[in-house]
Amino acid sequence: MAFKSRMSRTDWTHIAFLALPTLLFLVFYVYPVISSIHLSLHDWDGFSPRMRFIGLTNYTVLAGQPRFLHAVLNNILWVGFMLIVPTGLGLLLAAILDRGIRGEKAFRIIFFLPFTIPAVAVAAIWRWMYEPDNGLVTTVLNLLGLGGLSQNWLGDPAVVNLSLMGAVAWWTTGFAFLVFFAGLRNIPTECIEAARIEGATPWQVFWKVSFPLLWPSTIIVLGMSAIDAMRLFDVVWAMTKGGPAYSSEVLATQMYDLAFGRFDMGRAAAVAVYLFIIAGIIIMPYIVYMSRRVQDSEAE
Amino acid sequence: MLFQIFSGKKIILAGREGRMATKVGNMEKMYRSAAFGLALLGSTAAAYAQENYEVWHYYAAGSERAGMDAMIEIGNAASEDTKFTSVVIPGNVVELRRQLQTAFLGGRPPALYQSSMAFELKTFADGGQLHPLSDVWAAIDGDAIFPEGVQRVVKVDGVPYGVPFDLSLINNVFYNKEAFEKAGVEIPTDWDSFTAACDALREAGYQPLGNAGGTFWSLYNFYAALVSVIGEEGYYQMARGELGFDSPEFSEALDLYRDRMVSCYAQNWSGKTWTQTADDVVNGDTGMFMMGIWVAAYMEQAGFAAGEGFDMFQAPGTVGKAIFQMDVLAVPEGPGVDAANMFIEAVTTPEGQAAFAVPKGSLAPNINVDPSVYGYAGATFSRQFADASAANAVLPNLFFLLPTDLGTEFGVQIERFAIDPSDSVKAELIATLEGLRQEALAENAFIQW
Repeated sequence: MAFKSRMSRTDWTHIAFLALPTLLFLVFYVYPVISSIHLSLHDWDGFSPRMRFIGLTNYTVLAGQPRFLHAVLNNILWVGFMLIVPTGLGLLLAAILDRGIRGEKAFRIIFFLPFTIPAVAVAAIWRWMYEPDNGLVTTVLNLLGLGGLSQNWLGDPAVVNLSLMGAVAWWTTGFAFLVFFAGLRNIPTECIEAARIEGATPWQVFWKVSFPLLWPSTIIVLGMSAIDAMRLFDVVWAMTKGGPAYSSEVLATQMYDLAFGRFDMGRAAAVAVYLFIIAGIIIMPYIVYMSRRVQDSEAE
Repeated sequence: MLFQIFSGKKIILAGREGRMATKVGNMEKMYRSAAFGLALLGSTAAAYAQENYEVWHYYAAGSERAGMDAMIEIGNAASEDTKFTSVVIPGNVVELRRQLQTAFLGGRPPALYQSSMAFELKTFADGGQLHPLSDVWAAIDGDAIFPEGVQRVVKVDGVPYGVPFDLSLINNVFYNKEAFEKAGVEIPTDWDSFTAACDALREAGYQPLGNAGGTFWSLYNFYAALVSVIGEEGYYQMARGELGFDSPEFSEALDLYRDRMVSCYAQNWSGKTWTQTADDVVNGDTGMFMMGIWVAAYMEQAGFAAGEGFDMFQAPGTVGKAIFQMDVLAVPEGPGVDAANMFIEAVTTPEGQAAFAVPKGSLAPNINVDPSVYGYAGATFSRQFADASAANAVLPNLFFLLPTDLGTEFGVQIERFAIDPSDSVKAELIATLEGLRQEALAENAFIQW
């Protein structure tokens, strides 16, 4: 009764508003995570009525498999790539367009357009572009007299990841560009003008004034890029299915192959849990650090 | 009747006052609309008395879709009260499995679905998801209309769980006739003449033998070398887990594959899809391509006529034999079983089987289908299959005879070996596959096909 009397009408309103999102969070996020952990401790084909408890076997087997470790390494490479290449290219394009060049609107659309294409369509386009003998990439290289640089783009285990990254850079740079461009346009002109009056070069204006003020945009782009890299699936699956011979496999495609290609739901769930942990280890410190930077810059 | 009741009410209301009449007039419109809506609802309900059942498959386009549509049309013609709808699950068997699992968990599986043969059926049957088809099998006389080699891979412990509708041979080598003529190549009949053909084609400026990246295609090529070394009985021993991947015979088969086929492969083959390589044959860049017989339909669709632009021969080591890949119709437990049985009865007739096979470019598993329904290529494949059946040399695709994990890994490892046929990769391949075989033996996972 004492509890009831302490609760005001406003408190109940807050609880009522929070109840639905909390319920949704529990049902669609917490429950699947717990369910996946439970599943990862079992041997189950996904169809049988009974699951066999095998403890941590799925985890120990995976940890000793070169295939799994290779996929982990690929995911880490993808994180590095996504943090540097599409982000850097997006920033570069945004900085160029921010200088007010002619045809700015057209370029804005052209740069962003690839990001609006669904992943499977991107894969289909690039699968054709990367045909090793008659594809567009090889043909253009041949026309430029650079035929020696053409590769077996999607069929050579040493090259396939770079090829996939090329396609993904084309696809995702538009997002980084758009966020950075909006960020640049939101920077108060007074700051830029003051720097110029003080005699700063365009290079100094960008790195000493514009770029620090772009932190909120940078946080969004880097955070999203890192998350995209960890959950990467569709483009890789649609272009190579993780092949040839696992060379382009990432954790998400391995998980899918184990679950539905090999009827090994338990081990697939263990891959999912590993992915969850690795993503947490890689991404969370970054998000915490960046969030603090935002708070600091806002306080300033 | 309903409208009469509403109309009567209108008359009573209309007797009160003039203003009310207008209102009543509006109400009449409303009642008419309501009556019309209810009548429409009634007719819709009547239409729904015709029950709808789904057939799930992944044949989304081209000749495959045409075949599936034709087969479903035959199924629909069997009964006016039952309608089967084609539902395409984009992708391949893996995507279909994912969708099926969700449907099973939700308790709403389709009436029928396209399934692979052998171990795939066993997995679902062991999971209690499939309806045993003994009754409909007896009704269609399955033991009489399907060859023995086909029957083996649709039964689990003697009980049929799938009904064949789509059979493709995977031991043919397709060749560009003009390339053979220009290079002065005769049709190879053994490994020596095959190697000579490769050399001659290469000298004439052609890529000798096409292949494609992916889990299946190198493995299907490898079967020719495997059967050459271990024969039909050895092939089944391997399927039963009795012949090891660390055996001298398997090692010899790998060497044969490396020396005779991998050495012939076209440059950059692993970066191409099978359709891209087929295009290379059509365009005259590549001389030969060992692929399933569906490639004949693909090339014919591209205007490259069988018997004129291209022809085919059985791969060395498999002459007189038929290695086949097959899709079947599986029936999940559920309310659609009776309708599914009716569908199966319709599509396993010679007409029903031909309706799928001819547009798709595959073979009808029913032996009563008249070979004259096929074109040049289909007739050739039909003859090969009949000869192999008579000689009891019909071999199902080993990929689907092995436990799923082992079969899939087999495909991956052979592709890896085809890309890098070094001794170190060979040793790793043998160790990996033998390790999985031992695991499967320990779990008693092999089936005595």
